[in-house]
Amino acid sequence: MLTKEENEALCRVGPGTPMGSVLRRYWTPAFQAADLPAPDCPPVAVTLLGESFVAFRDSAGRLGFLDELCSHRGASLVLGRVEDCGIRCLYHGWKYAADGTILETPNLASSSFRDRFRHGAYPVREAGGLGWVYLGPPGTEPPFPAFSWTAADADELLVSEMIMDCNWMQVQEGSIDSSHVAVLHLDTLATMGAGPRSVGSFEFAGEPWDLEMPVPRRGNGGGPGGGSSDRGGGGWPSDDNAPRIEVENTPFGFHYAAIRDVTGDPGQKFVRVTAFAMPYTAFIGGAGTGAVLVVPRDDYTCSSIGVFRVPKGAGGIAASRRAGGVDPAVWGPEPGSRRIRLPRQDREAMASGQSFAGFRGGNRVQDAAVQLSEGRMYDRATEHLVPADLAIIRMRRLFADSVRLVAAGGAPLGLGAGYDFAGVAAASAVIAADQRWQDLVPANEGTGKPARRA
Amino acid sequence: MLWLSVVIDNACTQIWDAWGSGAPVTSLRVSPAVYDAVAAARPGEVARHCPLTLLGLPLVPDPDVATYEPLAV
Repeated sequence: MLTKEENEALCRVGPGTPMGSVLRRYWTPAFQAADLPAPDCPPVAVTLLGESFVAFRDSAGRLGFLDELCSHRGASLVLGRVEDCGIRCLYHGWKYAADGTILETPNLASSSFRDRFRHGAYPVREAGGLGWVYLGPPGTEPPFPAFSWTAADADELLVSEMIMDCNWMQVQEGSIDSSHVAVLHLDTLATMGAGPRSVGSFEFAGEPWDLEMPVPRRGNGGGPGGGSSDRGGGGWPSDDNAPRIEVENTPFGFHYAAIRDVTGDPGQKFVRVTAFAMPYTAFIGGAGTGAVLVVPRDDYTCSSIGVFRVPKGAGGIAASRRAGGVDPAVWGPEPGSRRIRLPRQDREAMASGQSFAGFRGGNRVQDAAVQLSEGRMYDRATEHLVPADLAIIRMRRLFADSVRLVAAGGAPLGLGAGYDFAGVAAASAVIAADQRWQDLVPANEGTGKPARRA
Repeated sequence: MLWLSVVIDNACTQIWDAWGSGAPVTSLRVSPAVYDAVAAARPGEVARHCPLTLLGLPLVPDPDVATYEPLAV
């Protein structure tokens, strides 16, 4: 649980808020690079951490990320023309370069203003199919977190974005939570032919009804359906819904293992290792080197972005658009159909033993259903955490520690100075009962030390 | 500001450590400030005379316990 005051501090992300100040100290995924496919293509509006920006690609292919409203009279540059190495406001023709330099002010002949003033512009770079920006104080940019997939070519990546109308923390907490998998995602496991077939009094009566749902791929690094996949051909070999949780802090944040008994084999254990790279990125056990990034658009809207590495030629814009949506019926009307709208919960299928959760569309739809059901901004004062929630508890702890560090003039946790982010990985495997789970992810470099004490 | 995130993380780590060594854990001793903060955040439970809990354990206020150093016992 959190007090109301603490909940507000960790959830709100606007300028000057405690968590907003922390998040601005990391490279932040802001938009899909595919939204700016060519030089001088139309710009895109980006809402990020409660602020409004315009992103564009100039004539030379350079990305620009500027405050949205023109410095002259406040018209939106999203309406502007991208031309001749800049973006020109439609209202009076002021023109800006990607670095914020004011190139032209047609209604002001003197150059003295242009020479002295610069429009709000932010460092931006393209990696892993995403445009990343740094919104923190100038000169404080940390090293870029070069995850393994950030160096991949566009045709090796599937990028899918799900816009959700709720506070980002409840989505982020869901993304790192392993103990719900064999409950909420029972339908997914059953469709995969893996894992338990019952929860409580529910038991599948024959085949699950949503056989068309996107399910994680088996043993090839995961897929856009999210969730587990790297099962070594062993499926989900456990009926244990009360995993033991072990957490270790790392240079990038923390990683943890959810350890389950293997059904019928006490000499082994089923381990899912999830790594959380502060503050946005979760590497989920079974998803290989793919990741889920949860980014706050504002206090009540966030994007859950899946990035999955696929064989060369199997990715790219067209493939992402095919794979990004799970069911056209559950995605909204925005370009790319990114805003999820939940399908009707199928109570008949739930009652007849065809579905546990009743939501067609796979893990992401099931996750979205429960996360959205918590409300626009969940009040954690009345929640009752249990020890199995240790990963969520640790994430909040690292955020709280970071708030205090930044407020004191320091840097937040997890910047990983000197750390090779390409080594961050998750895992899912059956191992001997006496084997260390850390051996599955040696590059994560767990320190084994507790978080900084209060 | 009182950071319950820190209190709960420290308590939860202790609980898992205790379980790992086979020791039972039956209650959580916390500073009066933490106890009062939990009570203030859950007026409904107080009104229903529910025992205050964290991490599934009954809370016991203890003036000898520091704010960020709860004791799982």
